[in-house]
Amino acid sequence: MTKTRTAVAAAALMLAAVPALAEWAPNRPVEFVVASGAGGGSDNFARTIQSALTRNDLFSAPIVVLNKGGGSGAEAFLYARQNAGDANKLIFGTNNVYLLPHVAKLAYSAEDLQPVAALALDEFLIWVKADAPYETALDLVEAAKAAPGTIPFGGSQSKDTDETLVALIEQTTGADFKYVPFNGGGEVAVQLAGGHVAANVNNPNENLGQWQAGAVRPLCVFSPQRMAESEPVSGDMGWHDIPTCKEQGLEIESYQMPRTIWLPAGTDPEVLAYYQDALRKVAETPEWQDYLAKTSQTGAVLVGEELASFIETNETGTVKVFEAEGWTAN
Amino acid sequence: MGNFDLLMHGFAIAITPMHLMLMVGGVLMGLVVGVLPGLGAPNGVSLLIPLTFALDPTSAIILLSSMYWGALFGGSTTSILFNIPGEPSSVATTFDGYPMARSGQSTRALTLAFMSAGIGALIGVVVITLLAGWASKFAMRFGAPEYFAVYFLAFAAFIGMGSAAPMKTLVSLTTGLLLASVGMDTVTGEIRLTFGLNELLSGISFLVVVIGLFGIGELLSTVQEGLRFRGVASKIDLRDVLKTMAELPRYWATTIRSGLVGIWMGITPGGPTAASFMSYGIARQASRKGEPFGTGRPEGIVAPETADHSAGSCAMLPMLALGVPSSATAAVMMGGLMIWGLTPGPMLFATKPDFVWGLIASMYVSNLIGVILVLATVPMFAALLRIPFTIIGPMIVVICFVGGYTVSNSSFDLWLVLVFGLVGYLFTKLNYPLAPLVLAMVLGHKAENAFHQSMILSDGSLAIFFSNTLVASIMAIGIALLVLPKTLQLGSRLRRRVPVE
Amino acid sequence: MTVRRFHAEIGTAIATGALGVAAIIGASELGYGWEGHGPQAGYFPFYVGLILIGASLWNLVGAVLRHREAMARVRAALEIEEPFLQREHLGRIGTFLAAMAGFVIGTVTLGVYVSSLAYIAWSAWRQGGYRLWVALAIGAGFSVVQYVIFEVIFRIPLLKGPIEPLLGIY
Repeated sequence: MTKTRTAVAAAALMLAAVPALAEWAPNRPVEFVVASGAGGGSDNFARTIQSALTRNDLFSAPIVVLNKGGGSGAEAFLYARQNAGDANKLIFGTNNVYLLPHVAKLAYSAEDLQPVAALALDEFLIWVKADAPYETALDLVEAAKAAPGTIPFGGSQSKDTDETLVALIEQTTGADFKYVPFNGGGEVAVQLAGGHVAANVNNPNENLGQWQAGAVRPLCVFSPQRMAESEPVSGDMGWHDIPTCKEQGLEIESYQMPRTIWLPAGTDPEVLAYYQDALRKVAETPEWQDYLAKTSQTGAVLVGEELASFIETNETGTVKVFEAEGWTAN
Repeated sequence: MGNFDLLMHGFAIAITPMHLMLMVGGVLMGLVVGVLPGLGAPNGVSLLIPLTFALDPTSAIILLSSMYWGALFGGSTTSILFNIPGEPSSVATTFDGYPMARSGQSTRALTLAFMSAGIGALIGVVVITLLAGWASKFAMRFGAPEYFAVYFLAFAAFIGMGSAAPMKTLVSLTTGLLLASVGMDTVTGEIRLTFGLNELLSGISFLVVVIGLFGIGELLSTVQEGLRFRGVASKIDLRDVLKTMAELPRYWATTIRSGLVGIWMGITPGGPTAASFMSYGIARQASRKGEPFGTGRPEGIVAPETADHSAGSCAMLPMLALGVPSSATAAVMMGGLMIWGLTPGPMLFATKPDFVWGLIASMYVSNLIGVILVLATVPMFAALLRIPFTIIGPMIVVICFVGGYTVSNSSFDLWLVLVFGLVGYLFTKLNYPLAPLVLAMVLGHKAENAFHQSMILSDGSLAIFFSNTLVASIMAIGIALLVLPKTLQLGSRLRRRVPVE
Repeated sequence: MTVRRFHAEIGTAIATGALGVAAIIGASELGYGWEGHGPQAGYFPFYVGLILIGASLWNLVGAVLRHREAMARVRAALEIEEPFLQREHLGRIGTFLAAMAGFVIGTVTLGVYVSSLAYIAWSAWRQGGYRLWVALAIGAGFSVVQYVIFEVIFRIPLLKGPIEPLLGIY
């Protein structure tokens, strides 16, 4: 099937390539392949872009959203490999595109996908229960040093961004936590609010509801500078009032998760240019600004060289953590 | 303001011509996606989300939730008529619904299902109304060991008293557990049992298996008998519908029990699917006389349907109050909530009362609309069975395969549907029970995860499952359900022996 | 030819046992022990696989024993062993399965629309006794409705083959 499909796609591409001196534009429905299940972080990301594109008439072709979240998103990236050269498929993910192949033996590599753009950076914070005795990140670290391997740290999935960050904290400080993986950020938020784990490293959006209710509170954020100004969220505290972890003496400069968009490898440069252009316009739409504000993510339009160097830094830094933990699959 | 005043305020918001129209439209669309096995409520809801951007959040959630109710109603229709569950949560309805329809009482089966579904939903909404504040606090007490205890309870309630050969039940159960463990394991992050096949990376979908086992398997059994549907030929009459409705009060005990099970599983996020299985199992254990379950017992339809819908409505509570979706559909709706700028969480009830209570009030109204609409369409659905088998049979085959394909857009799943169709046929012919396999696929991996998380928390000590009153009492009920039926059976056999001697 | 229940029982028991063996092989690659923090990834599949093998063996032995008993009775001319599938049934199921497998192969190569048109039309024509053009109309009607529901209304792309692009459908 895939062979015929690829052949058809290739034929279609060739047809499109004849008058390709002119600008390329999609001539049939474009698939948005999402590396998470319906309702997941990448899903909301893709659907926001879908609505921004259609509502502002930035896109001529109809859009079809496909969720392929199996194997932590590997399903979507394998799909990209199977559809190499297909210009009508965009893949939506995070840094899992290039990190997954390091921790699991998978039949694709990061070279099978071509980065198009990163549009946002999702922040990570350390959260504790509202009535916990910890005031700063270092309090928590000291507690873990005093009683190694006993303080339960919740996170979503295994060997994914959350566990990597916890491992990074451990490697930086020498503390030892007990990492407990759950299915997703929402679940971890409730586990923390219910006191079943002592801390988590959720994204702002995932813990927002519990923070508003005063059930949990943030200790610090892993970003080079504080988050953007906002209305007070809980009590008189807003996102900007949360200190960075570096300020508190936890020597991790930055840990952010990019929200990325990819094409299958082997498409023409015109295709890449077309999508980059469309996505740049998306970043200026009110829908997109709204999404950033509501999910407290940092907007960052990264393309081309900038994107490549971001990926490079992010990948080498994370792989170092993987190696120290002995998670690397190859 | 008390909950009652808030509810009245909610009704004022929900009952406007515009909202009533949205409810009717939502329920109708839901019926369509529910009836087609290829489309489920999650598909329907995620497709509607882009349309809701133009609406205010209250209207939007009313539309989406109405669609959800419609899909739940519609899912039971194909379960009963064709033995193909349109939604995962209506699998348990096939056990007695299909035999009843096959014995010529399709109208009765459908009416029973829809009416108890409606009642179940109402029970659920009443509970939400009363317990809106308290339930979220209760759900918060559920950590990994408590989750495991709930899953254990669901297994125990269902398996405790099976009529099939124990070793065949065991084969069915373990097969389901193995199928469920294929793919990536959440807790260890390992890829398991894929044998290098990329297609297995995302696991074996429960829906694909169910479509094969029940849909194709049943068609094969039908074909063996001859190229026509067995028995289904009764004329459809409004009087049948009314007669069945009059018969409902007889099942009050089953209804209440199933409603409670549904509430429990809806609030502690076990989900509607688990609720329907558990409730069916309990109804089977509670029944003493009459035909065995699985032959078209009315209680076998009332129990899963009531529980399914009361759980479905109660599941809105943890979604709104905790941000924990207990079904795929709820997860999609939550995505919508965030896009509309609402944050699910304990504060939602305080900061957006119009939204929350408008939704709750709309649940009363739209479920009522759902029951009416779905009853009105009973004759239409039942008439489907009069189409000659040589035409509708292949159409069902196509719908089954398309349904299997759309689960994850993978052509590999087409082969899985075919294989599991054969498995379903063979298992039924050889008296292997299918239900344990399905239950194991739904809950197996979740139970394993919860168990594993508990072990991490307790450093490998099983004592964690009895470490507080809550978890210990759930475990105790589970063990009792597993052991008691057998002992009671033994006891009654001993007592009966006395006069003989 | 008839298939006896005995053959079906044996076949099923062997197949489920093989699944158990596969699970054990897969699990032993991952490690099935109990680490400090609980079970390893292969723990559950390994032991579940073992139980499955045990239960399958039980069923296998049970089937053989019942078969022997039945054969003894056949020899004593008391009754004949229960047939699982008679020739007539086998033929009907065989045709139905072959057509279904044909449909799947057709879907994978030609796309679901063409394949379901052909499959439904074939069944109505050959088995339902409808005239060919009526059968084709039924098949085509079904495919069109299917296309409208899935692709137009719900925007869910189904498998397509080499023919749809010629009609300008992607």
